[in-house]
Amino acid sequence: MSLIPYFAYAKKSFLGRSAYRFDHLMGIFSTCLQVFIYWNIYRALYGQRTEVDGITMAMVTTNFILSLGLREAFYTDDGYLSRKIRDGSIATELLHPISFKGRMLAENLGNALFNLIFRFAPAVLISVCIVGIQPPADAESVALFMVSAVLGYGVLWAISFACQMTAFWLMNTWSLFTVKNVFVGILSGSMIPLWFMPEWMGGVLKATPFSSIYFTPVQIYLGQLSLKEIGARCAVQLLWAAGIFLLGDFLWRRGQKKLVVQGG
Amino acid sequence: MRDNTLELIGLYMRTTVRSWFQYRVDALLRSVAVFLREAAGVIAIYFTLLKFDNLNGWGLQEMMFLYSLLFLTYGILIIFFTGLRDFGAMVRTGKFDRYILRPRGLLFQMIFVNADWFAAVGHGGLGILLFVITAGRVGIRWTPGTIVYYVLAVAGGVLIQGAVFLFLATLNIFLLETGSLKELLYYDTRKFAGYPISIFHKAIQCFMIYVVPMAFVNYFPAQFLLRKPDMAQFPEIFLYIPFAVGVGVYLLAYLFWRFGLRFYKSSGN
Amino acid sequence: MGSLIEVRDLSKTFKVSRRGKGIPGMVANLFVPRYEKRQAVKEVSFDIEEGEMVGFIGPNGAGKSTTIKMLSGILYPDSGSLRVAGYVPYRQRRDYVSKIGVVFGQKSQLQWDLPVIDSFELLKAIYRIPGEVYRRNLERYTEMLNMGGFLNQPVRQLSLGQRMRADIVAALLHSPRIVFFDEPTIGVDVVGKEVIRSFLRELNARDRLTMIFTTHDMQDIEKTCRRLLIIDGGSKVYDGSLEGIRAKYSAVRQLEVEFAESLTVLPMEHVTIQDLDAYKKRFLFESAQVEIQDLMNRLLSEYPVRDLNITEPAIEGIIRRIYGGEEV
Repeated sequence: MSLIPYFAYAKKSFLGRSAYRFDHLMGIFSTCLQVFIYWNIYRALYGQRTEVDGITMAMVTTNFILSLGLREAFYTDDGYLSRKIRDGSIATELLHPISFKGRMLAENLGNALFNLIFRFAPAVLISVCIVGIQPPADAESVALFMVSAVLGYGVLWAISFACQMTAFWLMNTWSLFTVKNVFVGILSGSMIPLWFMPEWMGGVLKATPFSSIYFTPVQIYLGQLSLKEIGARCAVQLLWAAGIFLLGDFLWRRGQKKLVVQGG
Repeated sequence: MRDNTLELIGLYMRTTVRSWFQYRVDALLRSVAVFLREAAGVIAIYFTLLKFDNLNGWGLQEMMFLYSLLFLTYGILIIFFTGLRDFGAMVRTGKFDRYILRPRGLLFQMIFVNADWFAAVGHGGLGILLFVITAGRVGIRWTPGTIVYYVLAVAGGVLIQGAVFLFLATLNIFLLETGSLKELLYYDTRKFAGYPISIFHKAIQCFMIYVVPMAFVNYFPAQFLLRKPDMAQFPEIFLYIPFAVGVGVYLLAYLFWRFGLRFYKSSGN
Repeated sequence: MGSLIEVRDLSKTFKVSRRGKGIPGMVANLFVPRYEKRQAVKEVSFDIEEGEMVGFIGPNGAGKSTTIKMLSGILYPDSGSLRVAGYVPYRQRRDYVSKIGVVFGQKSQLQWDLPVIDSFELLKAIYRIPGEVYRRNLERYTEMLNMGGFLNQPVRQLSLGQRMRADIVAALLHSPRIVFFDEPTIGVDVVGKEVIRSFLRELNARDRLTMIFTTHDMQDIEKTCRRLLIIDGGSKVYDGSLEGIRAKYSAVRQLEVEFAESLTVLPMEHVTIQDLDAYKKRFLFESAQVEIQDLMNRLLSEYPVRDLNITEPAIEGIIRRIYGGEEV
């Protein structure tokens, strides 16, 4: 199987994004603003204290910059499949001699790469200039952070992929994705640093994939984990991504059958 | 001729509700989704305050009360001002031309013909829920005086945000695309309004008091009722004028709208 | 008393923003907007009397929709005067619009998710239509257009033809004196188009309702309008009857002749001869150069003619020629 067509799709979506320059500026601004608001809140919450439970203000700031920055980069087009089903183009696209799932991934990766360069990087740079950031623990942490971030994207993408498959049965997936985003928002650490979650939420965090998305990379960046722990956490990320993808794939096959039965 | 304006308003409302109810299950799910989406910020603050106890003197219940005003006013706002929020699209699709062709006031039609009930139920429901949870626990003595103040403050909050929408709609007559400006002047500004503005830099406070006066939507009304110590840095008078600010900015926006309308008719976009 | 619609030297210029290229252009435009003026309508004058059916045609961007928008009060004119039914549309909007109806073929004014009748009830309240008038109009029009079957169906379930009929009734419920139609049959099938056209003709004949059409479908015009107003490049280029346009612009006439046997006709001066089949031939000529009577006499005397037929060139072709080859 040749990968060339997938590169073509990725490239197409990468280039397609550059048309909406003003949107990007607004997106970057909005992310920086969000970081700034959280910084203000935690500055007020910390008051005179230098650390709370061993977490310094700089670590909190870093958590927000990295997780909100990664949120900019981690592109998923949640409405992709439901649009294709509603306008009926799914039937013809399934006849194309390439993998539909591969195409979905390729297009998202093209977008994600674009966002990484033109949204993540500027948003992080500007935020760092305004509120500062804790430097990474060491060069090794940066490298492992990047590996873990890629895995984190895998988890988020798999969640989106699996949720999208419900489009075969639901008329409208907007509500489902909105609820998904609520879970991702709260449990991933992008709205509240997970260090500050109450004890009893620990079980929920462990039982769900959301902390794998941003929080694991952030902890690696900050050098909070030993090498052994990093290995374990990355394995967890990989398991979540693969597990959820397989669930989505199962739904995908069931959905396709339903499509055939209904005659497209 | 018999004036049937009230009857017409009732009919408009009935029409939007009935359209909304055509897709009952989906409508319900959407409203719930909006509710949860908005609740996410409240949940995050809830967890945060479990850990930190208070934000610049504002405890959990008080923060929820501050939030409730924001959601309640938006819930009411969106029953009336959806047409102004979506004015750009209305001009593009020619829906606004249709309003011109009907023997009724333009703003009247914009306000009563459209209502985003998903948002109204989602935001309004959350606002009411938070209010019910907190109203009795934050130490407010609900006397006729405070009740009247509260009602006026909510009305003022609706008018302030309505004025922002009206201002942006008018601007749409002059500029082709104002989506980003709306994001900036309304939605981004509203993100600050979820918190006591005393935690922000002076420049942001000034922006929220004098430029886009979101501070009068929830912060100052809540302060009037709660009297937290961080009020010391603001003039006392701000506590008493939220409703007046609402009426004032709305009138200003209305004059701007009247002025802008002439240009619509001369350009037709 | 003057005409129902009086238009004198109506002009309208739009400012079109000119955008620079790329980001520098966009930023520059944000601070110093640059405009160029485009005159959409240039000193157009005409009168329309009560009870007329007038077709407004012209290529895209010719200024016909701008003119209609001014007539209906959506736009202010820059100069010239405009009086419709005693009103100045753009100044007395609310009073004026109760006297007119407007049908946009592509933009329905009905509530998409609700039964047709609900939209009508809403219009009754909006226009303050007295109950008796409303009932009479509704009954009459729904019967004429045979709409009883789908009055209680949601608009989204209607066919295009049904929706269009409902939209036309919606514009008539308040008994307007003038109705503007913008593409009133677009996308409707042939039978549906005919239903709509004959309804409008009947309405005009019975109620002397004044109607103004803008359409790209020349059949609409030919089957409903007696008068044609052609606008091109913002100016009025023709105002008169359908027959008049043929006389004025169609110099080319054609004569179709069926002969009793297969034969060859000798060439004639100023006449082009086309073979249609073995027996039929078509003779094309310009009326200024060849008298039709002469040609017919000559053919009848020299050849065995079985049948003879003068056909009019299609109006569509003529109008296309007036525009200079532009799409109608």
